[in-house]
This record gives sequence, C-alpha cells and structure tokens, in this order.
Amino acid sequence: MEAQLLGAAVAGYGLAGSFALVGTVMRRRLEMAVVGLLAGGLLAHTASLALRWERVGHGPFISMFEVLSSNVWSLTLVFLAAYLRVRAVRPAAAVALPFIFVLMAWMLVTHPDDGHFPATYRTLWLYAHVGFGKVFLGALLVSAAVGVLMVSGPPGARALRAGGLPDEARAEQLALRFLALAFVFESMMLVTGAIWAQDAWGRYWAWDPLETWSFLTWLVLAGLLHARFTLRLAPRATALAIAGVFVLAVLTFFGMPFVSTALHKGAI
Amino acid sequence: MNATTLALREGLARRVVRGVGSPRLTLALIALVGLAVIGHARVEGGLAGPLAAAFAMAAANLAAALLTNARLRADLALFVFHLSLLALLALAATGRLTALTGTLELAQGEVFDGHLLTREAGPLHPDRLARLRFVNDGFTIDYAEGWRRGRTTNDVRAFGQDGRAVHHAIGDITPLVLEGYRFYTTSNKGFAIVMRWVPRDGRPAERGTVHLPSYPLNEHRQAQSWRIPGTSREAWVMLDLDAPAIDPSRASTFQLPGAHRLVFVTGGERRELRPGDNISVPEGVLVYEGLTAWMGYKVYYDPTLPWLLACAAVGVLALAAFFWRRFGREGRGA
Repeated sequence: MEAQLLGAAVAGYGLAGSFALVGTVMRRRLEMAVVGLLAGGLLAHTASLALRWERVGHGPFISMFEVLSSNVWSLTLVFLAAYLRVRAVRPAAAVALPFIFVLMAWMLVTHPDDGHFPATYRTLWLYAHVGFGKVFLGALLVSAAVGVLMVSGPPGARALRAGGLPDEARAEQLALRFLALAFVFESMMLVTGAIWAQDAWGRYWAWDPLETWSFLTWLVLAGLLHARFTLRLAPRATALAIAGVFVLAVLTFFGMPFVSTALHKGAI
Repeated sequence: MNATTLALREGLARRVVRGVGSPRLTLALIALVGLAVIGHARVEGGLAGPLAAAFAMAAANLAAALLTNARLRADLALFVFHLSLLALLALAATGRLTALTGTLELAQGEVFDGHLLTREAGPLHPDRLARLRFVNDGFTIDYAEGWRRGRTTNDVRAFGQDGRAVHHAIGDITPLVLEGYRFYTTSNKGFAIVMRWVPRDGRPAERGTVHLPSYPLNEHRQAQSWRIPGTSREAWVMLDLDAPAIDPSRASTFQLPGAHRLVFVTGGERRELRPGDNISVPEGVLVYEGLTAWMGYKVYYDPTLPWLLACAAVGVLALAAFFWRRFGREGRGA
C-alpha cells in the first residue's frame, strides 16, 4: 500500500509538472489542474510517508531514500502553498516542478532502506531543525524558480507577465521576498541545529562538512541580500545569484551526505 | 593642540571608522570569511588563526557600520539584527577563551576526582573541575541487530559541596550539568579488569581497574599494557572471550561477558586467570577480582552558551521583523 500510494503521488506530481510546462509553453490556463494534481499527489504521498513511519518506527530522516522522499513532499507542499497564496508565483511552476521531478527520479532509483534511528535523534530539536530546513529549501526553490524565469529571455518574461509581473523589477521583488523568507528559515535551521548538536554531541558547532557548507550557504545568502540592498544589483544579476545560492543549497542538502556520514548520522 | 587640529583629527577618525564600516568592505569580508571557512574545513588540523582573524575583521566592520551607517540605525529591527550578529561574534570569541573540552573514563563505582584524560581549555578558563564529584553507578545500552547502538542510560550520583548525593539518569541527549560543566556519555565504553594489588613491602593493598579498549568497536583487540603501581614492572593483559559479549545477530544490551579467561603476561611469564585467581611476582601479589564496565565521558564547559542562544533568538526575530515590515509594506503598496 505504501509503495502504491507513493506511485500515485509520483504520478500526480509528474502530471502536475507536465501541465505546468504545457500551460507555460502553450499559454494555456491549466492552473486548476496543476493545483488538483499537486494536492492529490501530496495527499497520497502524506499517507505513504505515514505508513512507512508507522512501519519502521521513525520519521523520514535517515536513509537517502527517506531524505529525498520527505524533501519531495516538503518542496511540493511549500510550492503549492506559494502557488495558492501568491498568484504571481504560478508561472514559476514550469521551473520548480521539473526540479522536484528530478528529485523524485533520484528517489525512485534509491534503495528504500529503513535505516537505523540513532538515540541522539530522539529529540524535538530534530523536528524543529529539519522543519525549518525544509521551509528554507522550499522558499529558496520558489525564489530560484522566479529568478530562472527572469533570465530565460522572452519566454520567461512572457510567463512572468502572464502571472501579473509586467517588469523585471516586480519579478525581482517577488524573488527577493521568498529569498528573505529562506534566509530567516535557514537562520532558524542553523540555531536549532546548534542547540541539538550541543545536546547530542557536546558541542554546538564543530565545522563538520554539513555544518561548514550550511554556514557557507547562509553566508552567501547574507552576502547576496547585503549586495542587493546596499549596492543596488541589477535585477538579472540578482536573479542569477539567487539561482547560484539555490545550487549551493542543493549541493549542501543532497551532496554532503555523500561526502560525510559522520555525526549528522549519529556515531554508532 | 588647537581647536583646528582637534577638529581635523576628529574628522580623520570619523572617516577611518566610516571606511572600516563601508558596505563594500562588508561584502569583501563576507567573501574572506567564506574563504577562511573553506580553508579551515579543507586543511588538516584546521586554520583556526586565519578563521579567527577573518571573523575579527568582520566584527570590526560590523561595529563600525553600527556606529556610522545611518540607514542601519534608522531601522530598529535591522539595527538589532546586526547588533545580535556582533554580540554573537563577541560571545563566540569569549567562549573560545573560557571554554574547556575534555574526556574521562570511569569504571562502574568509580568517583570522578577532577582528573581528565584529554583536555583543551582556553587561557581564561576558570578551572573548577577539581571540586566536582560524581560516581558512575552503571549504565545500560540497547543494541539493535548488527551492533547498531540504541539508547544509553547511565545512572550517576553527583555530590554537592555539602556531600549530599543527587541521583541523575544521563545519556544520549541528556548530560549531567555540574557548575556549568556538562558531562556527556559517549560511544566510547568497554570492559575493565578489577585487580587488587598486595605489595610485599608493607604498603597497604590497593584496588584498581585496567580499562580495556572500547567494546564492541575493538572486539578483537581486548588487550592492554600497564605498570603495576609502585613498581617498574610492566604487565600485559588480554580478555579472551568464547563468544561476543553482545550478540550481533539479534537485539541485545551491553553486558559483561560470561565465560572468559584473562591472559596475563609479566616478566616473560604467561598465565591464564579466572576471577579469584592470583599471581605472585617478586614485588607482591595481584588478585584478579573480575570484570566491570567503564564509560567514556566528554566534558564541555562554555559559560557563553545561554547568551549565545539568547542573541541568536533575538537576531532571528529582528531579521524576521525587518523583512516582515519591508515586504509587507511593498506588498500592500503593490
């Protein structure tokens, strides 16, 4: 049942992404279909995650399959919330949903290990840390998707106009709003992570690879916001830089577990 | 010194502070901190000096900006966020100067007497370890199949200055906190050989433990060398187990091995001992009393921890308030 529900979710997400792309390219309004498919996919995915949680006795925090699955779920949730709440975000679905689709493809070729839940993970700080991290990545995805449309030439500009953003300046403001949200949530992710690390490993910061690259992502994000507000970067430069921050965040989130499995996985 | 010279000097000082707090310099220093962090992560042993220098320069830039940048001071939330960042840097530096990190091992029933096996302390650390006392009353560790470590629970009794004992159950994410020192159980634990040494020269007999390497990490290296107290005699012991003390094929708990032999070698002589056996050497008699367990602890002291948390929380709240007002205003204006 767990696998069938996940399959249904993948189908829903995949169709939603396809509808979003078709809508952008063919200039058709398929928003209701996108919302319906995303919401249906999310419901099925939530049920699948809940069944797995019940079966293995812990949340989706350990194996690469679990990390990818929970991130597909959270990115979709954040994007759907933005899609429903901020109309101008809707054209960005043509960029954001294919990215989520790539994560889904990766998830599907990953072995669905149950993993071992270390005793140091039995804390509420885990949920706070991971939750803030997921909102951070979701907000950054929305920002980067708008940024990518801004630098995509006439098709991107056309899509943004269709969403009610007539010029680059307004599109940049929208991207910056989500970037600022990402910055706040990344800060909270780092603070709660430090509290957890102090309890779990007796130090709040030790520059392990995941800490180092999370801090670098925060630093680059801070530098970008600083540059934008004090040096008045051009909108396209801001958009490109946001896409760069997103790439760095993705490499940190999904690349670092390949570099280091120490500490953040719990020493045995 | 006349008024004109004073005014010139004041003007120069103001220009210097403004230069140090320049937003362009901030950007360069963010890049410098980033490079220092990458260098620290990539170089074996870290680059603490350059990293500290980069953070110090960033702190100077931040302080100067707070003094001279009117836009920063005009917005309370933005001002508080930057002030929190500066306070975080100052507190982290203070923490490095006053912190202590160390390790210790205690056999079951052994009292911590302030002695650490490894120790790294800042130059301003106010050492109060010697007056702390607690005893390891034993621990349990759950294992899933395949020696995957689960929950650790360690019973300890801490003694106050009045000698009164207070029981604590620590382990995993729960440290024992004594006068700001935080004692954490670790994955480092194993078996200890309990010996009684009766010297022939009339000195009183003493009882002690020899800690074998961490178990099950060093399952096949359960051997240790040590010197018999008050002598120059070296001894070597090895724990010989018929079967693993923790069965890796099923869920289990950390437990002392049942059937075992202790291989004891000194002065070229080899003996196999069981609990209660003794061995006679020219300097005295050693009695093997049996096995017990030892737990490795990490101790951490940093008086800035609560202040760091407070500053971080205030900083994040101020940042959220700043963006809420900025984008909320733009949203309403749009």
